[in-house]
Amino acid sequence: MENAVVKLRGYKDGLHLIIRPKVSLIDIQNAIKELISGMNQPLSGTSVHIDMSTSPLTSDDLRNLETHLSDNYNLVVSGFNVLDENDESPILAAPAAHSIPQGLPADNQQDYGHAQIVRQTIRSGQTTSCLTGSVIIYGDVNPGGEVIASGDVIVLGALRGNAHAGAHGKLTSVIMAMELVPLQLQIGSYVNRPPLGQKPRGYPEIARVGAEDIIIVEEFIKF
Amino acid sequence: MGKVIVITSGKGGVGKTTSTANIGTALALLGKTVVIIDADVGLRNLDVVMGLESRVVFTSMDVIEKKCDLEKALVKDRRVEDLMLLAASQRNRKDDIKPEQMQDICERLKVEYDFVLIDSPAGIEQGFHNAAAGAEEAIIITTPDVSAIRDADRIIGLLQNQDINPISLILNRLSPTLVKKGNMISKNDVLDILNIDLLGIVPEDEGVIASTNRGVPLVHNDGSPGAEAYMRIARRMTGQRVPIPEMREDNFFSNILNWFSRK
Repeated sequence: MENAVVKLRGYKDGLHLIIRPKVSLIDIQNAIKELISGMNQPLSGTSVHIDMSTSPLTSDDLRNLETHLSDNYNLVVSGFNVLDENDESPILAAPAAHSIPQGLPADNQQDYGHAQIVRQTIRSGQTTSCLTGSVIIYGDVNPGGEVIASGDVIVLGALRGNAHAGAHGKLTSVIMAMELVPLQLQIGSYVNRPPLGQKPRGYPEIARVGAEDIIIVEEFIKF
Repeated sequence: MGKVIVITSGKGGVGKTTSTANIGTALALLGKTVVIIDADVGLRNLDVVMGLESRVVFTSMDVIEKKCDLEKALVKDRRVEDLMLLAASQRNRKDDIKPEQMQDICERLKVEYDFVLIDSPAGIEQGFHNAAAGAEEAIIITTPDVSAIRDADRIIGLLQNQDINPISLILNRLSPTLVKKGNMISKNDVLDILNIDLLGIVPEDEGVIASTNRGVPLVHNDGSPGAEAYMRIARRMTGQRVPIPEMREDNFFSNILNWFSRK
């Protein structure tokens, strides 16, 4: 079943029709026919979401598929989740309960070396650095304190000092803190600082290098 | 066996010497035997604040150079029983004393006295290391401004590396009016950053200047808010449970209310 052309899955927001990449429209239609004929319950009248990758289907193909589904099976297509073919982590684009029961995407569990855990507050004048991986701090980083990591910097407290993630130039590194009010953030060679007089927001935040080569900070909900 | 406590701040001018004089005097008033040591070699002040300047004959340097006995170098306070001062040499420099020598003095004093308070010089150099060398506990003095808090944070880090524990905090010169207006960092903000136990809050009190200039520690001046705060701090140091009062805003109405309640 894992390599089936189409799969039907139920998620929190309704039914999802997951289509394997690089399959022609005819194959998809045949596979849908096979799938639905083999089901005990009639699906007539329900709405489905379609999760698929862009190629090789054109937008015309998508429209054809939509009419095909409504004409033959009385299914209403409620939306398309079109994933970039190169995006190796479809989990990110899919809804919250989406869990493809395979291993984690390779990019998300890379071996970042080891993580250094610091069980204290980093005070003014103190520096902790891990040039072979990430740093996790069970405490605060006070103004004047500094954390340097070749991987990620994770502060399970308030980050009020300086943090430098990706010290060897790894731009996918992130800086995360329960309270992110730093003096300065650095990821790779990019430096950023928050606007003057910024108050804590009261929720965890994450900083990463965004599309325009600037460090962006946003609420941390999930990775 | 007594306790050796270093009183330090990192930043200068936040009230280390004034606090040492007042806490020492207050502890002695509570019946404890106390020695206060001026570790600010070359820039001694504690004898002036205590009003004992003219009585200093020997200093800690003389003790180290074995020119006199330790007991002989202690200057007795003018007003309170069982309060002694070990003055610093004015002629020498901070690196003329080694941490081990300071440690030795503290070891000998704590056998006979309940409290040995060390007034540390500002900064994080040799003078500070000498002052902290013999101490087992520390009191950090800070005022509610960013630079003092930053330096206090630095000092706490250094003291923790030397295994000095517990480290407690005195928040000095807090003005409730300014905190209310949002112009001053509040008690909670300071504690949030420094993350150590609060020993006491000393409100801004103009009486401090007058008492310093007269050479009479503020705690002799009953009823002033600063004196009461230092007495409460001393009580807490002797193990009594004295709550830290929430500071009232000092405005026209509360002044009138105070005036009525005093009658």
